[in-house]
Amino acid sequence: MEIFSGLLNGFSIALTGTNILFAFIGALIGTAVGVLPGLGPAATIALLLPITYIISSPVTAIIMMAGIFYGSMYGGSTTSILLNLPGEAASVVTCIDGYQMAKKGRAGAALGISAIGSFIAGTVAVIGLTLFAPPLAEFALDFGPPEYFALTTLGLLLAVTLSGRSIVKGLILLVFGLLFAMVGLDPISGKIRFTFGSIGLQGGFDFVTMAMGVFGLGEILYNLETTIKTEIVTTKIGKVFPTLKDWADSKWAILRGSAIGFFIGIIPGGGAVISSLASYAIEKKYSKHPEEFGEGAIQGVAGPESANNAASSSSFIPLLTLGIPGNAAIAMIFAALMIQGITPGPFLVVEHPDVFWGVIASMYLGNGMLLVLNLPLVGLWVQMLRVPYGILAPVIVLFTTIGVYSVQNQVFDIYSMLFFAVIGYGMRKLDFDPAPLPLAFVLGPMVERSLRQSLLISGGDPAIFVTRPISGTLIAIFVLLIAGQCILSIKRKMGRKKKSVNP
Amino acid sequence: MKKSERIAAMFITAGGVWIMFYAWHTLKLGSIQVPDAGLMPFLAGAGLSILGIAWAWISRGKDERPRRFFEPGIWSRPVFSVALMVIYALAFENIGYITSTLAFMVAWQKLIEKERWGKTIAISILAAAAMYALFVYFLKVPIPPELFLR
Repeated sequence: MEIFSGLLNGFSIALTGTNILFAFIGALIGTAVGVLPGLGPAATIALLLPITYIISSPVTAIIMMAGIFYGSMYGGSTTSILLNLPGEAASVVTCIDGYQMAKKGRAGAALGISAIGSFIAGTVAVIGLTLFAPPLAEFALDFGPPEYFALTTLGLLLAVTLSGRSIVKGLILLVFGLLFAMVGLDPISGKIRFTFGSIGLQGGFDFVTMAMGVFGLGEILYNLETTIKTEIVTTKIGKVFPTLKDWADSKWAILRGSAIGFFIGIIPGGGAVISSLASYAIEKKYSKHPEEFGEGAIQGVAGPESANNAASSSSFIPLLTLGIPGNAAIAMIFAALMIQGITPGPFLVVEHPDVFWGVIASMYLGNGMLLVLNLPLVGLWVQMLRVPYGILAPVIVLFTTIGVYSVQNQVFDIYSMLFFAVIGYGMRKLDFDPAPLPLAFVLGPMVERSLRQSLLISGGDPAIFVTRPISGTLIAIFVLLIAGQCILSIKRKMGRKKKSVNP
Repeated sequence: MKKSERIAAMFITAGGVWIMFYAWHTLKLGSIQVPDAGLMPFLAGAGLSILGIAWAWISRGKDERPRRFFEPGIWSRPVFSVALMVIYALAFENIGYITSTLAFMVAWQKLIEKERWGKTIAISILAAAAMYALFVYFLKVPIPPELFLR
């Protein structure tokens, strides 16, 4: 009942004129960045962080940012299907069958089924969010510093291991994120760290400058090396409403994708990319005609597109209940909440029910808006692909520069953003996935505080982390995960050696 | 392992060692009962130096791709654009927002995109006007005044 009244309250907030407008703006921007290759949701939310200082209501700001995140999942499929180029990372797998469908003149059906699948999955995931988040938040109310230490370190480690990229590189960025967060005044001892006499650094690096540099400008610099060619396979999209047969073929793929996406999205580091890959693998495995995959199977579009949408919505669960962001885009939303003076975590639902329920309710609306934006208006988005990157890139630079300047009206922030832009560019050149950096940056202070507080509470006895039931369990998972990874990599090496011995 | 990766791994390891020293010497580690400001940086530094070595160890020998960090022909675009951005940040306060923004856009279109003059001027004026409208007119961001109006 509490959930029902909370949700009702949420709708009364989400349905005010301003909030409907900002949910729409979020959905619109989200679709746009989803369509545009080379600009992802995390980068876009980073670019818009300075605007959150200007929007006075936290609910409104977060409603818009959330809209950008799940909206980009809708838009990403458009580019994958029409250009064979993922509009954003989570739509990589949609290219395989989506582009084949477009080549066979079925672009409309592919676009239609991915929009409808996204809508169903998004809605299923928001219902799950509505039902799961409040009890989880209540459970987390009993967490003390040791539990938070265990939870944040486990979350960070999961984010690195699940990303599917090099674990060592992920861990390096994780440590860098923690170190960048330490610059400036130490809140416990009052000592100044890593400032080297710079007055500008005494307040520490700002999350906004870091995020805009690494994600916004870093991505632009990297993209400047390659010219993104936009060649649209077909300008004739045809009917976007799927036929009854299309629907019958893909309804189970959509439902399975929704479930897979929902559960993978909750795990830190899981998120949209992995869930869409998992969904594709499962659809192919259980299909009666696996040979059709790669040749334009509609299930290969419906499943992954549903999964990435469900995952983007369910990744709000750890943020809203535990205060732990699981991916880069959610880390940006974490920062936006902090800018508004709200600490996400188990107390959010009690202290700021308007934010908690308002954002959830807005997601129901947002998904509806996105369906309308993506089905009949898909032709319009395709036109947007004609804007050359040569114009887009310098405009984004202008936008970030004045954006970052507007936060504190100091040019120092622009230099510090440029510093992070060069780091972000170097990271991409060296094949680092930048996602762990903002996660560690926002969680860094929490990791350090909870570690030091735990040691103070226990009088220096590190056993405190394993003797308490919840933190003990989390540490056990942590250890199992590391051991599992080590065993896996040793097995792989042994297998490779055997192969090289008996080829 | 590529040369650039080897250099990066070396820097990371050396950086980690330096951070450990800084944390121990300047920030102080404290005791396990009362940890001081240096404890976390020390642990992070230790982690970084180990990870740097691990990176070099894991990718030793393999992947000697011909692709270099700065490939001839394409490295200039990102490097020039960073230089332009630094000049833009310098000019921002000293010569004023509108002038510096227009100059930046013109320089970008001419140097990086090699655009024709007509298009360059049109794009520059439009972009500067759009930014002015959004940030100064709608969002009321205070901008550095123009040099010739001071």
